[in-house]
Amino acid sequence: MTGVSRKPALFAGFLLVTAALITSAQDYVDVEAERRAEDATRNGAVVTPVAPVIAEPAGSTYSGIRPYSGMTTVAQVPSDVTVSPITGDDSGSMVLRVQQLEADVRRLNGQLEEALEALRLLEAQTLERYVDIDRRLATGNGAGGSTGSSAEAGLLGGALSQTNGSQATMQSSSASPAVDAEAGEEAAYRAAYELVRLKQFDDAVVAFEGFLAEFPFGRYAPNAHYWMGELYLVITPPDPELARQNFKLLLDQYPADAKVPDALYKLGRVQFIKGNRQRSREYLDEVIREYPSHAAAQLARQFLLENF
Amino acid sequence: MWIRRASLLALLFFASSLRAELQIEINQGLDNPTPIAVVPFGWQGLGAAPEDVAQIVDSDLVRSGQFAPVSRRDMLSYPTRETEMYFRDWRAISAEYVLIGQVTLGTQIRIDFQLFDTTRQLAIDSGTVTGPVTELRMLSHRVSDAVYERLTGISGAFATRLLYVSVMRNPNAKDFYRLTLADSDGQRPIVLLEGRDPILSPTWSPDGQEVAYVSFETSRPAIYRQNLRTGAREQLTNFQGLNNSPAWSPDGNTMALVLSKDGNPDIYLLNLTSRALTRLTRHFAIDTEPTWMPDGKSLLFTSDRGGRPQIYRYDLRTKKIQRITFEGAFNARARVAQDGRNVALVHQRDGRYHIAVLDLVTDRLTVLTETSLDESPSIAPNGSVVLYATKRGQDSILAAVAVDGGVRFSLPAREGSVQEPAWSPYVTP
Repeated sequence: MTGVSRKPALFAGFLLVTAALITSAQDYVDVEAERRAEDATRNGAVVTPVAPVIAEPAGSTYSGIRPYSGMTTVAQVPSDVTVSPITGDDSGSMVLRVQQLEADVRRLNGQLEEALEALRLLEAQTLERYVDIDRRLATGNGAGGSTGSSAEAGLLGGALSQTNGSQATMQSSSASPAVDAEAGEEAAYRAAYELVRLKQFDDAVVAFEGFLAEFPFGRYAPNAHYWMGELYLVITPPDPELARQNFKLLLDQYPADAKVPDALYKLGRVQFIKGNRQRSREYLDEVIREYPSHAAAQLARQFLLENF
Repeated sequence: MWIRRASLLALLFFASSLRAELQIEINQGLDNPTPIAVVPFGWQGLGAAPEDVAQIVDSDLVRSGQFAPVSRRDMLSYPTRETEMYFRDWRAISAEYVLIGQVTLGTQIRIDFQLFDTTRQLAIDSGTVTGPVTELRMLSHRVSDAVYERLTGISGAFATRLLYVSVMRNPNAKDFYRLTLADSDGQRPIVLLEGRDPILSPTWSPDGQEVAYVSFETSRPAIYRQNLRTGAREQLTNFQGLNNSPAWSPDGNTMALVLSKDGNPDIYLLNLTSRALTRLTRHFAIDTEPTWMPDGKSLLFTSDRGGRPQIYRYDLRTKKIQRITFEGAFNARARVAQDGRNVALVHQRDGRYHIAVLDLVTDRLTVLTETSLDESPSIAPNGSVVLYATKRGQDSILAAVAVDGGVRFSLPAREGSVQEPAWSPYVTP
């Protein structure tokens, strides 16, 4: 509420008299005062306090339970609120005033509760839709091609084009005679990846963890991190934080890897899921800026369009 | 302060003159109820059997809406033991199941029963219930419970009881109020309290041995508890203003209630042992109608802190309040099923007040009733039926609807209005 209470409390005098009764309404009184001051400014009028400014309200600690305190902002006060100006300081008008404020607080409280619920539902739906699309893409492409590359590209909308790069490496490595360690690494990677393709996501997480423990700096380590990131988003329940860590690790340790654009895009999504719109936007902007012709950039643009 | 009253016995005397104040009308059953034949039970004892056990069981099963009775006139034989069972007799009249049994009177009364599947031609269940002679009707309901559970997989709730308040309107004098305890089929009504002072919010202790309610007998509302066995009665609160909506905690140690002694209605907890009073909510809006989640870790209540009445949950550990109903502009008087998942409540839609069920897992709200002034939902202890009060003409009647919406029946009173039903928990026999 700091943004509200830095303005002088216009009705502090009244509030002092009945602090015990209406302490909870103080912040809202300030909201009202500020809003009307703003309205007046907008209309070009001179702001004149309708009641003498006496002091900041004392004893403003609200001992009750207020579930959403701190989240009300001036901008959310609807403009159709009618406020009758106080003309006297008799107790009758004050009681009226308090009742009016209580009604307003209740109404705002209700609107806030409903807005938060709508937001919660929207977030859940977004995540669901995203997971659903990923799964459907995986099913669609998995049926089309039997090679790991096409199925892998399919599971995530974002991984699309870029996988070709790493895939080519994988194919060439398997075609040419490789050293034993490399062959072992590739077999382990493919085994883990097969679990992704079979949609055994929980098992796949374990397999990739094992893979990374055995080949922490292997050729497929960046891919493994990328898949871990993906998997933490599709397991139940999803773990966006672990997903974020894996994508971030990929960015930090393998800045030149072919999966970086996709990881950036996914980080944008993860941050969005986690509610960090600002961070989300930064990542999405970065993909678009750095890899403008990459498929991930296209997905990022789409995501921005739909969610920002 | 204990107000001991020897009046329960006197009230029992009153009760004997009344029989089945409520009648039962089935309004809607399942489309394909299962035909079951409940054969008249055999009787071994002096004189005639005090109750027609088979008739009680038959009515119970029919009332569930899931069974179609087979008329006794259509039965080709009246077996009372397995050796007398001829399955072709029952297949001939399309009875899928047959229940037989016999009642034996000794120092106690005993009912032996056996359930047969006529398609597979074998006994699928059998059992024995025993108890005092005076409890023969309750024992019969326990047979119904066993049969219902065997055939549906859901515990029966026939051997339970109802509390309700009836009001006799009198144009020339004050209304007459009566708090009544009856079997789940409306039979054997016992008046617990009556008089010209309003009686509100009857509720059960979790062990089913006590009830609590609000009475205005001291000319202002106060909460009382009353032991059903001993008749002992105690006034629990006497605060200025409202003393309302008592709700026993699942462990029986605490009672949630609504007091307005500090200004406007808020939820309080009263420790029934130490008598310590704790204030739970502190809001200038109205907080009322508390009800416990079965795990005892949180309460639901109605509040208009959001402008319109909605249901909120108070978490006793974190002390956080969270709104749980968002559909519609009016949701009030929640009651939670024993599974902790379904919440029955009053929901307003198109200006009409219906009973609805909110699924706390899926957040889906389902309106169950089509009548327009429904109130006071109370869920059966098996979670399958919601009992509530609704209007029929000038009077208020009790009605019930299955949680899945399939079955409806109403329980109009012979006279006056009936309101505020409270379905008992399971009572250990």
